[in-house]
Amino acid sequence: MRWWARAGSWVALAAIVALAIAISPTATDGGRIFLQAGNLTDILRQISLIGIIALAMTFVILTGGIDLSVGSILALSTTLTAMRLTHAPAGAGGGRMAVAILTAVVVCTSVGALNGAVIAVLRIQPFVVTLASMIGVRGLSKWLSNNENIDIGFGRDLAARFAEIFREKAIVIGAYAAGAAAFWILLGRTVFGRHVRAIGDNERAALYTGLPIRSTKIWVYSLSGLLSGFAGVLYAAENHQGNPNAGVAYELDAIAAVVIGGTPLSGGRGSIAGTVVGTLIMGVLTNMLRLNNVDSNVEMMIKAVIIVLAVAVQRGGEKEE
Amino acid sequence: MGENGAGKSTLAKVLAGVVKPDNGRILMDGEPVRIERPLDAQRCGIGIIFQELDLFPHLTVGENMVIANLRFQEAGIEEFCRPFLEQVGLARGVNELVRALPIGERQLLAIARALSMDARVILMDEPTSSLFDDSVERLFRLIRDLKTRGVSVVYVSHKMDEIFHICDRATVLRDGQTVDTIEIAATSPAEIIRQMVGRDVIVAARPYRRPAGDVVLAVDNLTTAKLRGVSFELRRSEVLGIAGLVGSGRTELGAALFGLDRVKTGSMRVRGEPLSPRSPRDAMELGIGFVPEDRRLEGLMMNMSVLHNGTIGVLEGFEEWGFVRSKQEMSAWESVARRLAVDCASPAAPVRTLSGGNQQKVLFARWLLLNPDLLFLDDPTRGVDVGAKQDVYRIIDSLAAEGKGIMLVSSELPELLRCCDRILVLCEGRQVAVYDAREATQEQIMTAATNFAAGNRN
Repeated sequence: MRWWARAGSWVALAAIVALAIAISPTATDGGRIFLQAGNLTDILRQISLIGIIALAMTFVILTGGIDLSVGSILALSTTLTAMRLTHAPAGAGGGRMAVAILTAVVVCTSVGALNGAVIAVLRIQPFVVTLASMIGVRGLSKWLSNNENIDIGFGRDLAARFAEIFREKAIVIGAYAAGAAAFWILLGRTVFGRHVRAIGDNERAALYTGLPIRSTKIWVYSLSGLLSGFAGVLYAAENHQGNPNAGVAYELDAIAAVVIGGTPLSGGRGSIAGTVVGTLIMGVLTNMLRLNNVDSNVEMMIKAVIIVLAVAVQRGGEKEE
Repeated sequence: MGENGAGKSTLAKVLAGVVKPDNGRILMDGEPVRIERPLDAQRCGIGIIFQELDLFPHLTVGENMVIANLRFQEAGIEEFCRPFLEQVGLARGVNELVRALPIGERQLLAIARALSMDARVILMDEPTSSLFDDSVERLFRLIRDLKTRGVSVVYVSHKMDEIFHICDRATVLRDGQTVDTIEIAATSPAEIIRQMVGRDVIVAARPYRRPAGDVVLAVDNLTTAKLRGVSFELRRSEVLGIAGLVGSGRTELGAALFGLDRVKTGSMRVRGEPLSPRSPRDAMELGIGFVPEDRRLEGLMMNMSVLHNGTIGVLEGFEEWGFVRSKQEMSAWESVARRLAVDCASPAAPVRTLSGGNQQKVLFARWLLLNPDLLFLDDPTRGVDVGAKQDVYRIIDSLAAEGKGIMLVSSELPELLRCCDRILVLCEGRQVAVYDAREATQEQIMTAATNFAAGNRN
């Protein structure tokens, strides 16, 4: 494999960062706006939600599956979190906040587990199952919230305090970093991670070796539900509301990040590091284009080209073997 | 005629324009022709009836006949197809879906299609492999009918009785080469069998075997979708060969033992305990191992490393809080890798970079670590070079020596004679013979496997 294919996504990231620096507008002090600490941390904060979802999506895609329901699960989580918090009695403490978050995350994990169970036990294609789930869970959030956003105020009540804490840059970025580290270890060092790779690489062989295919798949989709739910909690805080219409098309951004990061949709190959790089590429690209006032529609077209290019470069390297 | 792997199907693919020849000429009516694409074959008047019929199941009978058919003009499908369907005796409307047709009728449709393409030579690749007796008779009648109409038929088969039933001449292939072309009237089945197996046989001396131990597996009247009443016993330290042509049920015997195929009737017992596995995991719990025929599709995780492929089945043994303890993993791997002499640059190398023989050893290593009492090896030396083959034989010997019961499926008769204590011969799902390997000959086994001695297809 050629070096540029093996290191593909890293090279692409370096190139885009270099370009972003080169064409960055300058601030009044002559420095480049792109390189300002505030801008760099903004990028990280902006990619964190998709980044967190993409971590579990990497596991899903490694097994040869796909999870289209992540955006809807995120919306369900924002709705549940905001409902629990805004309905809390006055003067409720941190314990109440923890329960609200935990409730949302547990429900979302269960939705993921259900996805996984249907996929693994009934053997229906993941695309179909999670497509159905994407529709159904969106309906559930809208039904729960009566089609309305649940606003989190700016006062001193529990909901407002929650938003204040969980919209902190450090918390959001820290959560993403911790999640990335945890999933990196999970994939690389554990029996579970090894099974995920093996099943995605060759499910037939995994069956013939007696690997726990069903439970592994159920866990993988549960993790996807868990991280989407957690991303929903952060979304609710950042946007000061529970929004049943949140997260539309997030599944596509997450899948794009995974694919740009070198995990083919056929599964079996890929890494968490790659997905993080893929997420960064998307984030830096967006930031660069916005700093230069590029039309957001043009931004989408450029992203489209980047996705295909990234995969073409990695594919090109395979043939050289 | 020819054994599995002799090159029969490859020849068909060359004539069909699917595989390109390296050199040589194809003459049609004495004129050299070039066949580079399937359409060229059609232009030359060559029709191929593949073993897996190349029909579109979701299209209709008529659509299947006119698609990519150079002779079909815009006229009505019905008028175009009718005469050819009548010629082959297929009483189906052109609007019926192909997937609703039984396999025998699909074959007739494929022949009708070839005729409608003005084929003057029709090659049939093992056409009876999936037919029942009455459809076989119908096919034979059609072949005789084609003959009288001046259509030549090339009939690829390894079933002796069919060749003697329907053919005028036979060409025997072995290892991709023509051995001989003979008039059927002037030869005998025994002669053809000799030509089919007649490779130089180098059989190393059989190693000394301990007398066989306790019965580890008892199979009684086993019947599945592909097997009919198979019964045998396997003892510890015994190697039981399973001989038979592809499709004889030899792989399906392993599938039944390993919980992949459903058992209809009959019983299996492992060390006296009843065995009715519903999944490979069930079978493995009772100490059964299965090394599949196709190591790329069914055995190895090609993107994973040599080490990870070897240890994937036994990770729970090195687990601590869910983590893999890599030192223990490595030392377990090294012990089996040394024993099997796996040759790789590093245990971290992707398994796909290894040679076929070494890949097979990695798969053996996985099963050595899983340590079953009973191991079903499905053609373990397929696509493996000569040196590694000897290694595989030695591994089989040593596994038997340490008390495992082994079932060895192989397409190569010298291999069975070299490795086994007894050889069970399957033909069309039935157990037709069991030989003591010290006394059996290749000719005997081949005769039983082609069911020539029985003199009929039943």
